[in-house]
Amino acid sequence: MKITLNDACGIRDSWSLSATGMFNEGIHLVSGDVGSGKSTLALMIAGLFPLSRGCVVKEDVSSCMLSLQFPELHVTGRTLAEECTSWGATADDILAATGLTGRDETSPFSLSRGELKRLHVACVLAKDYNLLLLDEPFSSLDCGEKAKLCTTLERRSQGITIIFTHEQNILPRVFRIWEIVGSRLIDCGRPPDAFLHWHHLPSSIKKLTALGSRPDNISPQDLREAACRIQG
Amino acid sequence: MQDPRIRIAAAAILSISAFTSLHGAVFAFLWWLVFTPGLNLVKKNRLVLPLVLMTGFFGIVLELFNGNGISYFIRMTVIILIGMWLYGEQRPGEFLDIGVWLFGDRAGFDLGLVSEMGMQSLTLISAEFERVRLAAKLKGMRWGIRNLIPAGLILVHGALARAEDSAELLAVRGYRGGGTWCPVFFTKSRDIAAGLSAVCVVFFALIPVSEFFILYR
Repeated sequence: MKITLNDACGIRDSWSLSATGMFNEGIHLVSGDVGSGKSTLALMIAGLFPLSRGCVVKEDVSSCMLSLQFPELHVTGRTLAEECTSWGATADDILAATGLTGRDETSPFSLSRGELKRLHVACVLAKDYNLLLLDEPFSSLDCGEKAKLCTTLERRSQGITIIFTHEQNILPRVFRIWEIVGSRLIDCGRPPDAFLHWHHLPSSIKKLTALGSRPDNISPQDLREAACRIQG
Repeated sequence: MQDPRIRIAAAAILSISAFTSLHGAVFAFLWWLVFTPGLNLVKKNRLVLPLVLMTGFFGIVLELFNGNGISYFIRMTVIILIGMWLYGEQRPGEFLDIGVWLFGDRAGFDLGLVSEMGMQSLTLISAEFERVRLAAKLKGMRWGIRNLIPAGLILVHGALARAEDSAELLAVRGYRGGGTWCPVFFTKSRDIAAGLSAVCVVFFALIPVSEFFILYR
């Protein structure tokens, strides 16, 4: 299972983005500044954005899901139960997992952005997609929920997961790091070697590296272990 | 067309011409072909075709019951084309420019600000509508009438939330009404030619065709 981007280029007005690279199974992190084109790249990979040149080749990918940044855009149900069902998930399980038990008949629009995001992420992760594209999955979530999401993503046994985010603090352990710089997708490589080329390297990793203890990966646990090594 | 004053005035009088009479609509359409990107504009805007089809439907109903449907269809289609051109050419800040230029820093600024916020909201709603369609597609749902109610709810909910945020932001920044703004306009000779031609079109629309064709009488 893999995805190959062959000079895939998307153009929007005077802005453009070109991408070349191969995404194998595992978790990939695509970082970049706000407005750099992360969401557009996600749409391009999902096949929902017309390419002006190049192509996106998907091999052995039979199911794909893109989670948009704003969870309200996904809402199609009038109640929370209907919304869960529209994702092919069991309402009771999802509502219990997200702390919304007993609110089956509540309108999704009466939830706060954080609650809705929690519900949306749980619905997306309820199914095992071959290709899972998550656009800013950590936005609107508190630290606890971000950590929970990281654990769930790390548990995904197969498939390609691509996370498009500018989150810097709480991230899952990833297979490969990419970033968008100057309208181009750049492959930084696998951590920890990727840290040498990564423009958006989190400040915590920078500090740890400067202190002589480079973390093995980018998850909070990796950072803790690196910090422990300093303390001896 | 770079000067928004001429653009808006031309669009207003051309719409009146098209609405007033059939030959006014024909002249306005010719103006549209000469002074706008024409068919390229139609290709870019996905709303044109559904709107024309909707007008066509009402035209047929009118033709069946009243007998004036074809004229209605042509006149309304020209108005839609002019509206699409106006919307496509609009740039952020232009309403504020025109508002202040017309009515000054107090009422003009407020009117301009409201118009700018309205246009911004319209642009965001249009972008969000596309995203909602994509989201439904991702869920494997067929897009149809059934989706319009939740989609409408999402768009209205989003627009209200943004309006509340904007209002709070303005209040926090101390906005109470009016403000300072220096409008700047760039007028090209083609803009003036287009504006004068639009004035000619409205004259042709208001004067009966038979006045020109003596032989016809």
